Amino acid sequence: MRASKSLVTVAALMLMLGACTQDADTTTTTAGLEEPSGATTSTSAGTGSTATTAPSEEPAAGGLLAEVIARDELNCGTRDELPGFAVLTAEGDHVGFDADFCRVIAAAVLGDASKVNFVDLATEDRFTALQSGQIDVLVRNTTWTAVRDGSEGATFLQPTFYDGQGMMVASDSGFANVSEMDGVIVCVATGTTTEGNAATEATRLGVEWEVRPFDSPDLIQEAFLAGTCDGWSSDVSQLTALRSVYPDGPETLTILPQVFSKEPLAPAVRDGDSEWAQAVSWAILATIQAEEFGITSESVDDTLASTEDIGILRFLGAEFETAEGTTVLDPDLGLPVDFAYQVVSQVGNYGEIFEAHLAPLGLERGVNALWTDGGLLYAPPYR
Amino acid sequence: MTTRQAGARPPAWRDVRVLRWVFQLVVFAAVAAVVYWLIDNYRNNTASSGIPTNFEFLTGPSSFDIPGSDFDQNQPVHSAIVVGVLNTIRISVVGVILATALGTLIGIGRLSTNWVVNKLSAVYVEVIRNLPLLVIVVFTFLGVVFQVLPRIENAWKPLDLVVVSNRGIGVPWYHGNSGGLLLLLAIFGAFGWWLIARWRRIVSERTGEPPRSGFIGAMFLVLTFIIGWVILGFGVTLPEVDGRQIVGGIRIDPSYFAVLIALVIYTASHIAEIVRGSIQAVPKGQGEAASALALSPFQRMWNVVLPQAMRIAIPPLGNQYLNLIKNSSLGAGFAYIELTSVTQITVGNGSPAVPAFALALAFYVVLSLVTSALVNVVNRRFALVER
Repeated sequence: MRASKSLVTVAALMLMLGACTQDADTTTTTAGLEEPSGATTSTSAGTGSTATTAPSEEPAAGGLLAEVIARDELNCGTRDELPGFAVLTAEGDHVGFDADFCRVIAAAVLGDASKVNFVDLATEDRFTALQSGQIDVLVRNTTWTAVRDGSEGATFLQPTFYDGQGMMVASDSGFANVSEMDGVIVCVATGTTTEGNAATEATRLGVEWEVRPFDSPDLIQEAFLAGTCDGWSSDVSQLTALRSVYPDGPETLTILPQVFSKEPLAPAVRDGDSEWAQAVSWAILATIQAEEFGITSESVDDTLASTEDIGILRFLGAEFETAEGTTVLDPDLGLPVDFAYQVVSQVGNYGEIFEAHLAPLGLERGVNALWTDGGLLYAPPYR
Repeated sequence: MTTRQAGARPPAWRDVRVLRWVFQLVVFAAVAAVVYWLIDNYRNNTASSGIPTNFEFLTGPSSFDIPGSDFDQNQPVHSAIVVGVLNTIRISVVGVILATALGTLIGIGRLSTNWVVNKLSAVYVEVIRNLPLLVIVVFTFLGVVFQVLPRIENAWKPLDLVVVSNRGIGVPWYHGNSGGLLLLLAIFGAFGWWLIARWRRIVSERTGEPPRSGFIGAMFLVLTFIIGWVILGFGVTLPEVDGRQIVGGIRIDPSYFAVLIALVIYTASHIAEIVRGSIQAVPKGQGEAASALALSPFQRMWNVVLPQAMRIAIPPLGNQYLNLIKNSSLGAGFAYIELTSVTQITVGNGSPAVPAFALALAFYVVLSLVTSALVNVVNRRFALVER
């Protein structure tokens, strides 16, 4: 009797689920979007207004940019355990390449690089956190792919790091090439592009890999130390970072030279708010442009005082002379005119951020050099 | 001032029959409003960020392999979920059987007159019952499997029948297409066992000699397999180490092993208490009567006390089985690819979270309901019929 009653309840539940999934595409009513952070103030309309408009439509005022400014804090989705990219120190600070780009965005939008609320996310939770509005921007070494752009409700912006997937093996294993690895166990992290790439690469090479997914790099490290994995596959930057802190010493691990995927690591924002997306994009582009100009966090004040270069003055939001008199360039991005100055003076240019966090791990600039040096970093003109 | 006449109804706002209905309607409306509000928010949020809310993702490619199965990344998501459900069932069924056996032994041990057995059982129950299951899994995974089991290079090979290493445990298994034959032999053996049991009971009732049907039946089953092996020649493969892998036989995945052991250890501590309580609930006179009939302590426990105790234990045991099934979701954190794990991976690979997890919830509910239905059937079969 009781079992059959429960079965009816389940059936009713399923019907309800089915019903709401059918309607979901067609109906948009006026109920507001919930803001789990609870940070909306009475002055900001919150993201509620975006819910009432069609997804493609551009929200004018009251978008996420206005909300972040009103809140005076940036909720930045990151992590706490990947050396070089973002680790939580004993003092409670987030340190790393991704953490610094959170600060870059805060410096640009709020004028203060310290106004970041770091939200540490597990790999498989990151898009849910972005979709639900728990975070404003996701800067968590996330690969930009078509499916994620499309079905995760995310918009990817200017990549901060061009990466590729590689393979790390024990130095005494004798493997010198990925194609020599046949009948081995390859350990990867779950919920990433890594598992699919590894399986595809094994098929392409015609070798047998057992791809074992683990929840966190810590667990993979334990599995590796215990000798239950032959290969450790991930983005080369991550492998380099993890190797640098390997308990048996970095020299006991070797990263094989083959790179078998493209992994542009890019920050992501929620779909449907291009004003916010542009603000974040330009904050990141400012670090690249600053390096191209040769402006560092130390030299920026001197440069500002001495330079005659209109391009640099425009970029830093300083006054410059035109035929109609002195003016400043305000491209109307919704950012303060001096956002680039704030970014460079408080955090630094791209090269400085790279040198501070990634170079110590042994990573080369490689394709992540400026376009003028043959790399891929290229900022559109600031004018 | 009017005086109300006897038997007249009070006004509606003071009529308890009306108020009762109104109150129920208000509660129902409030619950419905909250549910509607949540669903509506979900619809709007997903619509505004362009996230699909239907189940179309099920037919898309999964883009991940599942270790320990033939599943590959080109198969659709729904096949991956089926593999996940099967893996959940695989660990649950084996876990329930082992936990019941271990729990019963320890439950009996707690009532043992042997001081060492008694105290060891008590310590086991009191320690394990008070540990969080997650801690036990972390211990069995990082401690037992990774550190205690040998590496593949120095795997234990007792008698060359079994290979034990931290990459898995290989045990002999039937060869390729002998599966049908094996099943046939098993059915034949079991049928023979049943016949023998009937025959022995008749003999026992007529002559008074002990039936020993369990022993003779088991011998018959073993004999069936030996004859089948020698005469029909079904193939058996032995596990062996080939380079860095265990080949041949069947391999027990280290993650499966770790999670299974943790589930069994943990659930057994609860089952032991249920068994102990149930045995104590059997009237003392039953055991004393058995002793008076000169039954051995084993016979007294096995034939008189336990059958009555198990009758009492069935409903609470069912609860523990449900717990074990649900707890198997901890495998997701330890590379055992069961239902929760598959759902997490597929969500990480671009499937929408709410429909995917709704599906996982539905599967868990169905698994639990089926289990409790089975327990109910068993319970009805064994319940005392009151007259």
